Amino acid sequence: MMRRDIVLTNRLGLHARAASKLVQTASAHNSSVWLERGERRVNAKSIMGVLLLAAPLGTELVLETDGDDEEAAMNALVALVEDRFGEGE
Amino acid sequence: MSLVLTGIGVTSGIAIGEVHRLTPGELALPEYHLDADAIEAELERIHRAIDRSRKFLGSLLDKMGESGGETARELLESHRLILRDPLLVDATCERISSERINAEWALVKQTNQLLAEFKRLDDDYIALRREDLEQAVNLVQRELADQPATLIGAQVPHQLDHTVVVAAELGPAEMAILHQRRVAGLVTEHGGPMSHSAILARSLEIPMVVGLHHALDVLVEGESVILDGHYGAVMAAHDESLQRHYEDKRELSLRRRVDLRRYLGRPSRTVDGLTFRLFGNAELPEEFQRCRDDGVAGIGLMRTEYLFMGDQVPDEETQYRAYRAAAEVMDGRPLTIRTLDAGGDKLPPALAVTQGPNPALGLRGLRLSLSVTDLFRQQIRAILRASQFGPVQILLPMITSIDEIRQARRLIEECRQSLQAEGTTIDPDLAIGGMIETPAAALTVEQLADELDFMSIGTNDLIQYVLAIDRQDELVSYLYDPTHPGVLRLIQRIVETGRQRKLPVTVCGELAGDAHAARLLLGLGVTDFSMPPASLPAVKKSLIEASAARCRKQVTRFLDNPAHHNTGQDLLETLNSKP
Repeated sequence: MMRRDIVLTNRLGLHARAASKLVQTASAHNSSVWLERGERRVNAKSIMGVLLLAAPLGTELVLETDGDDEEAAMNALVALVEDRFGEGE
Repeated sequence: MSLVLTGIGVTSGIAIGEVHRLTPGELALPEYHLDADAIEAELERIHRAIDRSRKFLGSLLDKMGESGGETARELLESHRLILRDPLLVDATCERISSERINAEWALVKQTNQLLAEFKRLDDDYIALRREDLEQAVNLVQRELADQPATLIGAQVPHQLDHTVVVAAELGPAEMAILHQRRVAGLVTEHGGPMSHSAILARSLEIPMVVGLHHALDVLVEGESVILDGHYGAVMAAHDESLQRHYEDKRELSLRRRVDLRRYLGRPSRTVDGLTFRLFGNAELPEEFQRCRDDGVAGIGLMRTEYLFMGDQVPDEETQYRAYRAAAEVMDGRPLTIRTLDAGGDKLPPALAVTQGPNPALGLRGLRLSLSVTDLFRQQIRAILRASQFGPVQILLPMITSIDEIRQARRLIEECRQSLQAEGTTIDPDLAIGGMIETPAAALTVEQLADELDFMSIGTNDLIQYVLAIDRQDELVSYLYDPTHPGVLRLIQRIVETGRQRKLPVTVCGELAGDAHAARLLLGLGVTDFSMPPASLPAVKKSLIEASAARCRKQVTRFLDNPAHHNTGQDLLETLNSKP
């Protein structure tokens, strides 16, 4: 199991388009992927779960991956967040 | 702290239950409970349906290729993600197994829960478009409909005894289904107290509040509410003491209703031995059934407007089926079918072009029928054909002159002859009556009576036209007084004319269904009353316990005293005080 703190730096936070990309990336891996925001913990392979986090710009989240490809999953997801979900500035 | 919302109460009952926000088309979906051994098959069924829906989306995406544009692709992708989402898929399966309900129903429940959760999110953050979830789920519902369940064991249909249904508007078909499912109460955002669904709710005795703006936004799925139809109030977030208060109140009114129903079995005779007859007003199959069960003498008023409320004018066959079904349910008792009484406040969309500057005085009722004779012929043919299945009579609405009656009679005779030529024999003596509801008709009733086989007094319109008051207009509605001597004299005159000519006269307006006003009508000489089935018990009790002679004396004294100091309200009180 791996855990990593991340901060949303894209302008819109986890809005529909970003959430879709996150879920698609998470779903491409075998490991289970979880996102935590404060008390709330959701399955990162659930589009509605991720949207229900309602995480705007600057939100601090914890990303957790667990499974045979947990490292690859973590790297892919962190890269996506650091790339601001491909939104540019 | 409780939250009280107010609209317009249309039935006096009380409902206590959980909110269910009705989604359009939802009632067409089957809802039933499963036997334990049917659950496995149902889970397979929903997995197959979701699978096929996902493949369908995939094939759309493939076909679209690069040409579709990014927005369209994203939309389809998001639908595909939704159909893979454990919050939808796993949770729906969980509902099927734990609640033992069919796939369609489980899917609706889970979808509603998710929509409610999204609704609670900050408005500024539009996380998920409601339509995305709904569209994705609709795909699955379509697949489920294509592959109906092969049922193992019994289906127990879902009952709504503890549910208050909230909707934008409700149509007659939806009302019928909700009634069958024994819904506890109804709330709609639109509609007035005289709207179609309100009239139905009254007659089916479903507590209902209409015109509750933003009800769908404010009331949360699954929250417990109290609906007080008398005050038009819906209370959410209430405390236990309020709930107990209303439970007691509901219990009391139910008991009172059961007590009143005992009168239905008693002979229709006043204490001084005058025989009266009670008829029902009905339009839906449930209402006819109800009227028959309650022992009415017949149907005094079958309105036909609801058949015309869709986007299309119903053809002869559709109308024939509705009239025939009513005649069959009534099983030999007279059935009075009123021809289309559109116009005024109730104009079918299909006929909206006929709306003039003042609808109440415009092309409405029989005038409208005589101006679109093809439509009228269609309706008459349907009624005549249905008359082979029971004693049917035709009632013409909104007449003002003899000429209109003659025109209508001519058209009816033409239809009878053309049916005869087609080999369908219709009784040439089929009764044709007229609604006396305009001052002109009431003041010339002696002449009109020569052309009619029976008469019916529509008190709602008569009062409105005589007093020149639109009751929907809240600035003058306080002047709407059914006991105005001008109104009473006209009713008396119509009834007296009927008595002299031996023509039956029925009162079928709202006044006839009012237990207090029933004695006023009795005092005016009325013996035939027609009303929604829900009013039958209370009116019957009021009449059985009345003395007709005493009522007549009191009403006559009221009318004969020109400088009367008594108001109509005093008269009603005297009439209804114990002898």
